[in-house]
Formats: sequence, structure tokens, C-alpha cells
Amino acid sequence: MKNTIKVERARNNMTQQDLAERVNVSRQTINSIEAGKYVPSTVLSLKIAKVFLVPLEELFELEEGD
Amino acid sequence: MKEKSILHVPLLSPAWKKVAFIFFPLPVILVIGMAFSRMDISPDDSAQIIYGFWAIGFGLLNLSREKEEDEMIKSFRLQAFQTGFYWLIWGLGALMLINYLRYDRITSEIFTAYLVLFLLNAYVYAAFQYQKYMASKD
Repeated sequence: MKNTIKVERARNNMTQQDLAERVNVSRQTINSIEAGKYVPSTVLSLKIAKVFLVPLEELFELEEGD
Repeated sequence: MKEKSILHVPLLSPAWKKVAFIFFPLPVILVIGMAFSRMDISPDDSAQIIYGFWAIGFGLLNLSREKEEDEMIKSFRLQAFQTGFYWLIWGLGALMLINYLRYDRITSEIFTAYLVLFLLNAYVYAAFQYQKYMASKD
């Protein structure tokens, strides 16, 4: 699954640590999500979307094979 | 899952990891000490003492909280347990096969609960650390 968290973070001038603190996870988790190594739960995805004030489908996109 | 659920596993404080590491050299020192004090202990019993202590050590490491216990770490724990159990079955199968080829019997005195618990906890710990390493690798 692709995501645009890194782009949204840059747009909002946020570091991985800032976002991690906002959604109560570790910086490592945010890094893994951005790198596509970890697919977040629905709850965490909704929390991240809420931080950036964007719809979920704008933040995450299914890839071929998903 | 609600924290009050019977399925919830309460984790130990991260400080327990330091306690866990004491359990690794301790049985070796104990067995050497017993040998020097000429206590009548068989090699099989010595091995069981070591397996038992190491099982407790790895068990404590597996049940200790990470500094930040978030959903990714929880998913790693789940995967680590599944992977650990999978390799335990293959490992025990391999030991049985080796035993059969060498001694013509499937069972052996070394197959004890201590050995199985040690192997399971060691595999779970290894699988958990591997996932953390892969997540931190750029």
C-alpha cells in the first residue's frame, strides 16, 4: 500500500517525531509506515488523516497485488 | 482489545530486561560451582538446569515492555510468537530425526519441558529482534 504521509508531513512542516507524538506511536513506527514496511491499523490511519485534515483515501492508496 | 479482557497480557517494566540477562551466565556458574564442589550431578541434569534458567531469561525478555509499546511493536510480538512456534516445531522435528538416525529411536532424554520452553522463548525473542532490526534498517 502506497501512502503520501511524507508529502503531507513536508506540507505541514512536521518531523516524524512531531507526527509520532500527535498520534501516540514511536518515531520508528512512522518511519516504517512511510517506507511501506508497516501497514497501520484503521484506527492509526484515521488518526494520521485527522492530523493532516485529509480524507483517508487521499493518504493511502492500494497498489497492484494488495 | 479491552485491557480488562482475560486475553490481555500485562507486560513487565523494561527494567526486568536487566534481571533477565542475569539468568544467562548464572546457571553456567552454578553448574561449574557444583562440579567443583563435587556434587554428584549428571551431564543431563546440568543441561536441564541451564535450559531452565535460559528459558526464564528469554521468557522475561519476551514479556518485558518496550520503551514505546505501540501497535507496530504489538504486531511484531504476535508475528514473533507465530514464527517462534513454527521454528520450534521444525527444530524438534529435526532433533527427532537426528535422534532416530543415530540411536534408532524418536524420543530422547534431552526432550524435556525445559528444552522446549528454552527453544520456544529463544526463537520468539530472535524473531522479535529481527523484526525490530528490519524496521529500523533504512
